[in-house]
Amino acid sequence: MGTWHEIWAVVRRELRIFRQRPVYLIGSIGTLAFCAIFFLTFFRDGLPHDLPIGIVDNDRSSLSRNFIQQLDATQLGKTIVYETFEQAREDMISGKLTSICVIPEGMYADVSANRRPTFTYYLNSLYFVGGALAYKDILTMINLTNGAVQRQVLRAKGMNEREIMGRIRPIDIDTHQIGNVTTNYGYYLTNIMLPGILEMIVIIIVIYSLGAELKYGTSRHLLRVSGDSMLNALAGKLIVYTLLFFSMGLTLVVLLYHWMHFPIAGSLWNMALAIFLLVLASEAIAIFIIGCLPVPRLALSIGALYSVLGFSLSGFTLPIEAMTPWIQGWSAGFPLRHYYLFYVQEVIFGAGFAGWWQEVIHLLVFLLLPLAVLPRLKKAFIYQNFPKE
Amino acid sequence: MAQKETYIKSWLKDFWGIATHELRQIFSDGGVLLIFIVAGLVYPLLYNVIYLNGVLNDTPIAIVDEADCAQSRRYTRELDATREVEVAYRCVNMDEARRLMQERKVNGIVLYPRDFGEKLARMETATLSVYCDMSSFLYYKNALMAANHVMLHEIGQIQIERYAAAGFTGAEAAALVQPIPYEENNPYNNAFSYSIFLISAILLLIIQQTMFYGMSLLAGTMRERNRSFASLPDTLEGHGIGRVILGRGAAYWTVYLAISLYIAFIVPAIFGLPQRGNYWDILLLLLFFITDCVFFSMTWSTFITRRETVFVLFLFMSPICLFLTGTSWPVTAFPKFWKLFSYIFPTTFGCQAYINMSTAGGDLLAARSQLFALTLQTVIYYFLASVMVFIENRVMKHREEIEQRRDALAARIGIDRTEDARIIAGE
Repeated sequence: MGTWHEIWAVVRRELRIFRQRPVYLIGSIGTLAFCAIFFLTFFRDGLPHDLPIGIVDNDRSSLSRNFIQQLDATQLGKTIVYETFEQAREDMISGKLTSICVIPEGMYADVSANRRPTFTYYLNSLYFVGGALAYKDILTMINLTNGAVQRQVLRAKGMNEREIMGRIRPIDIDTHQIGNVTTNYGYYLTNIMLPGILEMIVIIIVIYSLGAELKYGTSRHLLRVSGDSMLNALAGKLIVYTLLFFSMGLTLVVLLYHWMHFPIAGSLWNMALAIFLLVLASEAIAIFIIGCLPVPRLALSIGALYSVLGFSLSGFTLPIEAMTPWIQGWSAGFPLRHYYLFYVQEVIFGAGFAGWWQEVIHLLVFLLLPLAVLPRLKKAFIYQNFPKE
Repeated sequence: MAQKETYIKSWLKDFWGIATHELRQIFSDGGVLLIFIVAGLVYPLLYNVIYLNGVLNDTPIAIVDEADCAQSRRYTRELDATREVEVAYRCVNMDEARRLMQERKVNGIVLYPRDFGEKLARMETATLSVYCDMSSFLYYKNALMAANHVMLHEIGQIQIERYAAAGFTGAEAAALVQPIPYEENNPYNNAFSYSIFLISAILLLIIQQTMFYGMSLLAGTMRERNRSFASLPDTLEGHGIGRVILGRGAAYWTVYLAISLYIAFIVPAIFGLPQRGNYWDILLLLLFFITDCVFFSMTWSTFITRRETVFVLFLFMSPICLFLTGTSWPVTAFPKFWKLFSYIFPTTFGCQAYINMSTAGGDLLAARSQLFALTLQTVIYYFLASVMVFIENRVMKHREEIEQRRDALAARIGIDRTEDARIIAGE
């Protein structure tokens, strides 16, 4: 039999395995489908709204009521009025409030008499997005209130509106969010979380597939089918898996950038290339892990521990440069990190080949890993001399 | 009376036997130990090291100063002085700055337009532009916060000058510039540190996930060897579900009590995370949480029929559980379905209670709703675990019949299972 025949025989055998054991397809397509539904619906709103903001109104004047109404009317905030600070504090400690505003007693009277009452607010930044956004909301509102008071005084002095604006707000900032104009939290996370889940699936399934041959003692039969060639056996298996995972990845890219209209500055097809390379690199990692340690249970546990770390070390939440220097280097060992850098160039800046060619090389370097363990894996497949579980 | 005593005695004997047997299983299984010990003990350290600083300082930004006036230069100096950003480059035009951003040498650009100084001189509103790299929200947050803080400060400065020109000075001007001064308090997480909000949630998540994976590994192994834990002692004639569940549970409970004490008290102490809660309060929370996790894991591990499948089927739940704790995306913004879905997991309540107690310094009263939810969950999962054991017993008794039915079903849709097996494994 020729090489192609042998590879084809392995492919056919692999498809039979899929049919015999539904766990492969459930664990790959089912998992990714569930996660896609989760991330696309969970962050549906893009930005949270109606964050609970506690108010302790010690003033009860028209000014304080107006402030509360204005804050309540913002998209971000929803005010909850408390009688005492103690009650509000208790609710903040139990995580029900993102922040508390304390309006001082006699605020209106003090403002009218130029006595400058102090407004106090407390932030609960243990719930990150909620705390940060409530902070922004309160800060905007208190500055607007300050502006409104100034405007009244200046109007009374007989200034016109243009002069007043210049005095109330001499400097203004207009912000441009490059790559995510609407500050959509869902876009930000989903863009990397879902490819990250895909990486995780590829690593686990490939380790499982190779490990199962050892565990159920079918590895010798696999080698017989492939004409005693580890390369043929791997090629046959990987053709099936690469097709499966790449079609999942391609669906993902089309889903995000075409159907869901995620903003993308560059081209969707370049991202398809990135996903393809991510799949290949993850497969290489998986082969490397099971090759180093041909014990299915340990290899799977290590693959699981490794792929979970990938999310943190890709640096899309806390940037790598904020980590300890000796941790920073580790990030290079995760395909997801390079995918992220590729994504930044293509999706955020639309830089094209000039921007991401280095990441292509980095991802391709992972493909050398299996070569180092191939002889070892073959021996394990022949002798089955490692613990089976 | 005598009969009752023997019942209690035999109950305790069975319970003890099952618990010690399970402990022996745990400690003689390398895979489970890898998950319990390496993941349970090393992961908390690893995550702490990764998020050690947790705060992004001095994000590099580029300045494009087309105005080149005294005010813009002062603004730039003040930006540079903030914790959040660092002026890394001064560019002559936007093209240069944009290229620097694409090359990731800067993560933000501040542009002063040509008329910036003129407008200020004319006492109009001068607008400056901030361009943020949205590839990480922390870049955006840093650039925006720095620009805004400097803006508020500058506004104050400029307003005082302008009011002076209009004839207001001293206290009167101050009262005009900021009629209501404000005081900011950020008691629990002063610098919006990533580590403080994330680590507290991850710590308890590690407890739940490692326990679930470990227990499922073991349950899968036993099922492969056809001696599922669900098999009840023959002498009991189908009774004794309670002692099987409690006996096995006790084994994991003991192991995890030790691991949890380490994760919840020692790890935060090593890394200087805030520990504002009362020791006994948090210990009580942990007891509730571990008990809940034991029954949770037991219920869901029923679906694991082979050793390794737990990773194939459920590994992706770890990141999802993290989002469902509500530490990053606020619970109030959860869609209804996912809010209900989050009630499946002990971490949803456990993490919130732990964060509120350990980091915000809450007491048991503050965590009462979460403790109540954990208790309710425990009861439900105990019941479910019992049901699962009961069902599995029935399934085991009728195994052959089920196999036959499966083959018949496969044959009907044209799949020859023995032929498949031959192609996969040879003769």
